[in-house]
Formats: sequence, C-alpha cells, structure tokens
Amino acid sequence: MSEAAIPLRQRLWNPEARLAYVLLAPAVLVLLGFMIYPIVYVFLISLFKTNKLAQFKEFVGLRNFVNQLADKEFWQITARSLYWTAIAVAVKTVLGMIVALLLNVKYAGRKFARMLFIVPWASAVPISAILWGWVYHPQYGLLNATLKATGIWANPPTWLGRPLPAFTACIWVDIWIGIPFMALVFLAGMQAIAEDLYESAYLDGVNALQKFFYITLPGIRHLVLIATLLSCLWTFNDFNTIYILTRGGPAGATDILITKLYKNAFEFLKFSPAAVMAVVTFFILTALSILYARIYFRQEQAS
Amino acid sequence: MKWRNRGKPIAVILTVVLLAFLLFPFFVMLSTMLKSAEEVYTNPPPWIPKSWKFSNLIRLWSEFDFAVYFKSSLIISLGSTLLNTLLTVPAAYAVARLRFVGRRFILYLFLVIQMFSPVIVVISLFKTMASLKLLNTYLSLILANSVFTIAFTIWMMNGYFRSIPKEIEEAALIDGCSRVQTITRIMLPIAVPGLVTTMIYSFIAAWNEFLFGLTFIQSKQKMPLVLGLYNFVGRWTTQWELLNAAAFVALVPVLVLFYIIEKRLVAGLAGGAVKA
Amino acid sequence: MRRRIVWVLVLALLLAGGFAWAQKAKVTFFWAMYDGLTEDFRESLQDAFMAANPSIDVDIVPIDWNLMQEKMTTSVAGGQPPELCVIGTRWLLDLMSTDSVLEVDKVVSKATLSNIAAGAMEAKIKGKLMGLPIAAGARILAINNDVTKVVPKTMEELRAEAKKVNKPPKTYGLIMPGKKFTELTDFCYYLYSAGGDYFAKNADGSYGKCVVNSPAGVKALQFMVDLATKDKVVQEGYLGLNRMDSHPIYYEGRAAYVMIGAWVESAMKDIATKPKTQYALIPPFAGQKQSGLIITDSVAIFKKAKYTKEAGKFLDFFYQDAWKAKFDELVGFPPVTISAGKLPQFQSPLYQALGKAAMSAKGWPLIEEWAEASDIIWDANVKAFLGQMSPKAALDEAAAKVDKIRGM
Repeated sequence: MSEAAIPLRQRLWNPEARLAYVLLAPAVLVLLGFMIYPIVYVFLISLFKTNKLAQFKEFVGLRNFVNQLADKEFWQITARSLYWTAIAVAVKTVLGMIVALLLNVKYAGRKFARMLFIVPWASAVPISAILWGWVYHPQYGLLNATLKATGIWANPPTWLGRPLPAFTACIWVDIWIGIPFMALVFLAGMQAIAEDLYESAYLDGVNALQKFFYITLPGIRHLVLIATLLSCLWTFNDFNTIYILTRGGPAGATDILITKLYKNAFEFLKFSPAAVMAVVTFFILTALSILYARIYFRQEQAS
Repeated sequence: MKWRNRGKPIAVILTVVLLAFLLFPFFVMLSTMLKSAEEVYTNPPPWIPKSWKFSNLIRLWSEFDFAVYFKSSLIISLGSTLLNTLLTVPAAYAVARLRFVGRRFILYLFLVIQMFSPVIVVISLFKTMASLKLLNTYLSLILANSVFTIAFTIWMMNGYFRSIPKEIEEAALIDGCSRVQTITRIMLPIAVPGLVTTMIYSFIAAWNEFLFGLTFIQSKQKMPLVLGLYNFVGRWTTQWELLNAAAFVALVPVLVLFYIIEKRLVAGLAGGAVKA
Repeated sequence: MRRRIVWVLVLALLLAGGFAWAQKAKVTFFWAMYDGLTEDFRESLQDAFMAANPSIDVDIVPIDWNLMQEKMTTSVAGGQPPELCVIGTRWLLDLMSTDSVLEVDKVVSKATLSNIAAGAMEAKIKGKLMGLPIAAGARILAINNDVTKVVPKTMEELRAEAKKVNKPPKTYGLIMPGKKFTELTDFCYYLYSAGGDYFAKNADGSYGKCVVNSPAGVKALQFMVDLATKDKVVQEGYLGLNRMDSHPIYYEGRAAYVMIGAWVESAMKDIATKPKTQYALIPPFAGQKQSGLIITDSVAIFKKAKYTKEAGKFLDFFYQDAWKAKFDELVGFPPVTISAGKLPQFQSPLYQALGKAAMSAKGWPLIEEWAEASDIIWDANVKAFLGQMSPKAALDEAAAKVDKIRGM
C-alpha cells in the first residue's frame, strides 16, 4: 500500500509513530531547549547593529552581509576555509582507514597498539595545539632539532612564521587530532562485517586489495559517509588549532571563518560581523550536508 | 586460520612505523616533562634529560591541587556520558527502526545543530544557564556537553542499529517481546561495539571540553582538568615542563579507560548470530 | 511508587547541580594568574579577608591571563559579571561605552585612593577613575653584562653594539619577536623612540587620523626589518616567535639586549644560567627625545554585579601594604601604592630603572577600536618582515584600514 493512500491522520498518529515520538522526545527537547535560543539569536544579530555587549541597537537588514561580501578579505578567508576542510578531511579519512585496517589484524600486543593510536584524540584540542606549538618552536622545539640532527632536513622552515609552512603546520595538527576518531569509527564498523565473507573470498583466491574494495569498504560505506560529513562540519569550525598556533597569522595566512569570527566577537567586540560569518558558515555547511544526506538516503534505500 | 596470518608481519611493521611517526609529540611530551626549567630552555634541545625530574609530576598534586581538577573532570565526564547514552539510545532506535512522519527531518535537525561551533553559541548559552541558575554547576557542563555530542551519537547508533538484520527483531516480536524489550535485550547487546564507541566519544569529548568549562565555571573547586592545565601558561612565560607533565597526567585516564573497554569493540557479530 | 522515585531522582539531580541559595554577600573576583603569583597567596588572602569580615564571602577565581578577556566578555555580555575583575586598562574604553563599570571612588575608601601613585592612574578617563590600578610597569632595556657592558644612548648605538656581539646561535645581538601577539610590542618601542605615535591628537585631546605611516613610523619599522633581515642580529626563527617564546632566549643568557618589562627578574629567577643583567631606558633614535611605553592593568568593578559595596571593602583590605606589597613582590611589578613604593624591597636597580622609565613613558592610545587597530598594525609589521610589502606600503595600508574602521 503506497504512503499516499494512507490518510494523513493515521500517518502521523499510529502506534508506531507515537512510540517514535516518545523515544525521541528527551533528545529533541534537550537539543532544541538549549540550541534554539542561540541559533535564533545569531541569525537576528546578523541583521542588526550591536553594541559591545551584544545588544541590539539598530535594524539594518542585509547591510551587514553586503559589507562583508564586498570585502575582498572575506572571500579569501572563505575560500581558505573550504580548502582547509577539504584537504584535512581527505587526509584524515585515508590515514584513518589505513590505521583501522592495521588495527583489524590480530597479533599479540594489538590491544596496546590500539590504545596508543588514541593518544592524539585523548588530549584536549587546545592543549594539543599548545604542545604542538612547543614542538614547532624554532629554538627549543624538538622537531627542527631532530630534523637537523638526523640530516633529514638540513634547513627546516620556521613552521609558524611563514605563510605556507604555517598553513601546513596547522593542518597537520588538525589531521593528527582527527585520525583516531576516524580509525575508531571505521574499526568498529569493520568488526561488524561477517568473517565468512572474508573466508569465502580467500577460498576464491581474492587478493588483499580486492578484499578491501569489494568487502570491507562496502561494508562500512554508511559509516564512511557519516564520519566524513561530521568531520567536515567539525573541521570547518576548528577554532582552537589555528588560533592557538598562529592566531590566524602570519598576516592572516591561516585565518579561516571561525577564527576571524572569534576575533571579531571576543577581541574586537564586533558581534554583527561575527554573526554574519556564523550565518555564512551555516549556509555553506547546510549545502554540504544536503549533498551528503542525498547520497546517504539513496544508499540507505538501496541496501 | 592461514589467511589471517599472512598479513601479520607487514601489519606489525607498518603499525610500529606509523605509531612512531604519529606519537612524535607524545615523545616530546615525555621528554619535556622530566626536564628542569633551564633544560627546557636549551638550544639545541636534548631528547634525554640530564637529570630526571619526576618531581614535576609530584608537584602537580602537592603544589597545584590537581586532585581537585581530576575529581571535577570525572564527575562531568561520567555525568555527560550517562546523560548522552540515556538520550541517544531511544532516539536512535526510533530513527533506525520506526516509521513516522518527519524521520528524515529529525536526522537533518540533529545535523544542523552540529554546524554551530561552541564559539558561536557560547554567549547565548551562558545567558540560558544563568537564567536557569545553573552557572557554576556541574549540571551546566553535563547538559552543554550532551547537546554537542548527541548529533554524532544518534547518527552513529542509527547506523549500527540499521546494520542489525531485521529478522532477529521480528523473530523476537513474534515471540511476544515488547518493543522496549527488543531494544534492551536484543538490539543493544548486538550493537555493543557501536554503543561503546559512542560512550567513549561522549566521555572523551566531555573530558577534554574547554570552552564551556571556562565560561560556566566560576570557582576553582569545580574547574575541569583542561582548565587546570592553564595554570602553567602564564602571561610572561610558560612553564613547559609542568605543562607537559600535566598534559600527560590528563591523558593517562583516557588511555587506561580505552584499554579496558577496547575488548568490547572487538566483540562483533563474530558470535555467529546471523549468517550474512 | 514510581512517581516517588521520579521525584527523588529529580531532587537528586537538582542537588547534584549545586542548587545553592546564597544568603551571605558574596564577592567574586576574577583573578589574573600572573606568573609568580602563588596559590598560597590567593588562598591566604581569601581566608584572611573572610576572617576579618565574617559577613562577606569572597571567591577569588584564578584565571589564566590569556583566557581572561574572553571570560570577562562572556560574563559581561551574558549579564552576569563578577564584582571584580583584573583587566588590561585599555579594555576599559569598551566597557565604558556600554556603561558596564562603576566609578572606583563610589565604593573604595578615600584612604586607599589617596595612597595610589599619580603615575599609575592610567584608568582615570575623562576625570573619573574607572579602575583601580593593580600592576603598572614601564618597559626597559635589559643588558646582558656577560656579553656586553655598553649602555646604548641611541638606537643606532644599540644596533652597532648588537652587530658587534652577534655570534649566532651562541649569542644574538637583540631579541625581537616577529610573531603576532596581543600586545603591539616591540613595534611600539621603536615607534615611540622615533618620535612617532599612532594617532594625531586633536586640539580637544581626542584622537584623529592614524599616523603610523608617518616618516617616524616608517623609519621605526624599516629599522626593525633591517635588524632582522639585513644585519641579522635578531634571534633565528623570530618570525615564529612571539614575545613569550623569545624572551627565554635572553633568560638563558644567549642574547645581548632585550626590551622587556618588570617581570624580567621574577621570570629569570628559576633559571641557573641566567645572565648578569643591567637595566637602562629604551634608547631613542638619534635626535629624538626618550619616550617609552607604560602598561597598566586595573581592577574593574562591574555595575551589574550584586555586591559592589562589599567589593569595595575587599579592595580596601587588599590594598593594604601587608597584602599589596607582597603581591607586587611575587609578580615583580613596581608598587602602585605610595606607601609600598617606599619599602626597601622595591629599591633594587630594576625598580629604579622602572621608576625612571615611567617618568617619560606613555600608554596605549585610549580608543575604543584599539584591539582591532593593533591587530591591523601587527599584520603590517609581519608583512614587512616577510618582505611581502615595503614598510611604507604596509603602514600606508594599515593606516587606511584603521581610519576606515574608525569611520574617519
């Protein structure tokens, strides 16, 4: 019986739906209860001029947006946010997958290895950023000292001082922090793939690469989608890493939307431009999510 | 099983190499936390400290009250994990198994929330907590943490629940189980790897949460560990040896917890409940 | 039965949440964790005040300096400010524009106020004292006597001596940070020494257009760029080192000169290899008058907080010599109170140099958009260091941007 044939009332209020609402209520209430006000507030502020206490002063409609969009720097920062996210998520996913595959192999001491791989994730992001800053320190940092001493790189760059090395340094820290999460999610998914699939593949003479692409990957496809989508959202808004390592420097070479937003709100007390950036972030991420969700739901129906 | 053992040696070697590379900053941490103040400021910096100052670790407890920070973090993290699990499991089951109008919308909604970084909402959340008289309470952090981790945990559990074949549930329902019983007695045990993943995620997210801890907590007695680490970041200098020691100490419980729980991740459908 | 359980759970949850009914007056003080300030001091100050004033509770909340501005902004914007907060005096402009701070003399006693040194009154804006100075220090030149004994009278002399003793990486001529930091140093030192300033001053005392790109400003920035890239007397990797990262190189003894503040001795005290240090004023460029920078932090009292009167009592207690002088000793800053200034522990060479420098020093421009303006000027500095733009072009661009944000 097609959905359209069922009357709306019954579709909304049958026993199954009722149970669903009850089960969903706690989570939805908590979420909306706490987030509705901040989200509405951010959207409203972007349409107003505010004072230094983030209070509304004057309705200016879309003027804040026009001002931002006319600023060349804004576009540079937005573009940077996009490729920052793209590169970081891509590398995180690939490395996470490799790590997950490695940890899926049984050997003595695997438990210990799994624990060690968690280290980048087990430390708080601001602390990791501060400690990486120490690793990158031009005079006391062990990175350049080791590179020079072992001869791997005789003249390493001043990591946080020049535009390209700074960007690379920041993005590597973000990737480093993100690998364990990816690995964990993929690994847990790999556990759910039935052993006999691999067994029969072995008997059929399938090689390792084919096993990966035809059994493992399809088996965790939905997890890869969710993990990369969420990672995109989180990476786009990764504030602490860049702010602590370079404050968006040198001369704005590592500024992304979220760091610029923070500076506007908490350093300059200009809450309206900050809100505009938050709204722009929202639209970009929504577009991304819709794209992802389409793929996800289409794949859900197929399975 | 012969096919299993073939990849082993390569995997082990690769693992060691990758670990050595990834754990570089961790080694730096171990090296720095055992140094004295002036050894920290030596160029070129040595890997092995001349004299091993374990006193750096001891000072955390004797001089800097780290036990207090530890207790706070523990309460906040356990509370957040508990609340998150209680909210997530029913919601994820509903989204995974039940048919109702707005199912896709709800999933979208949870996703949309993730688009707002804590930085953006912190001031408004502060006002909300203030009006609920929850400022300077553990509950404010427990709630805030749950809000920001629910989206992920629900999507994750949704995925895990969906990967369980429907036949098991249907068999149970035919046998006379209620819906709730199928969740607790059948779905959850099978989805344990997923559940453990989401619980670890909640715990770590809460343990390492920084912005809300800074904003909502007003008294030192309730400050979480991450904030305690900032004791060593001064205005004129940073006490690197103590900071690294503190970061190490903050890290260890998470690693230990993970080590203990890791077994559950391994238990999958290997029990053979269902053939593919 | 089940309903009762639910109520018990709800009650337990509320209690766990720390639902407290405050009936005693409670003063909350956001306390900046200055280096050298100990937990013991904070706790004993708290206990002593509460013992002397049983009807008032005080909670001194230790917060790292780098996190203070954010925490303060959120609390104030969120409508729940603390009674007292240590702030950078320059933040007062923003706070005053939203009428968030209370005039100090409304709650602090005349005795305490008359004991404050006149030179520390940076927080006196438009004739009203809006913050009580807690730490004030001018910036000075520290000279490593193990490497050189020359006390430069001009910047050009400093440059010449730095070149002479520069033997990297064992010894650097001069420490100069090249990475952005909240404070616009070291550029400020060179700018003031060149006789330049940030803004033109109008007849009525208000600030006019941005003049960092004046010949003096360009000269200052060019000088800095030359020191780093032509003479190479500056520490290696300076582009990746902000002030906090670079000063330890001096504490280690590996630099001849550094422009630094009152904290230098308290920062060096734990390091065994510290250099024998002499203090002098930051020299002017040839033909200019000596002019330095002085920075003050203040304690602000927030209007919206509940117990401002009790907060005033706490400040009276804290500013007695017994406590404030100890605070000054621990932090390493010269005292802001007249009575403490006479104590023997504050007569060392460092304090003498600080006192002398304070007499010809000026502070940051007190304008509302200073945070953004200094951010823009810092970027200009970095662009010049990187060679992306010439000092003149970078400063021209910066001045134009600053004028734009100020609506000039």
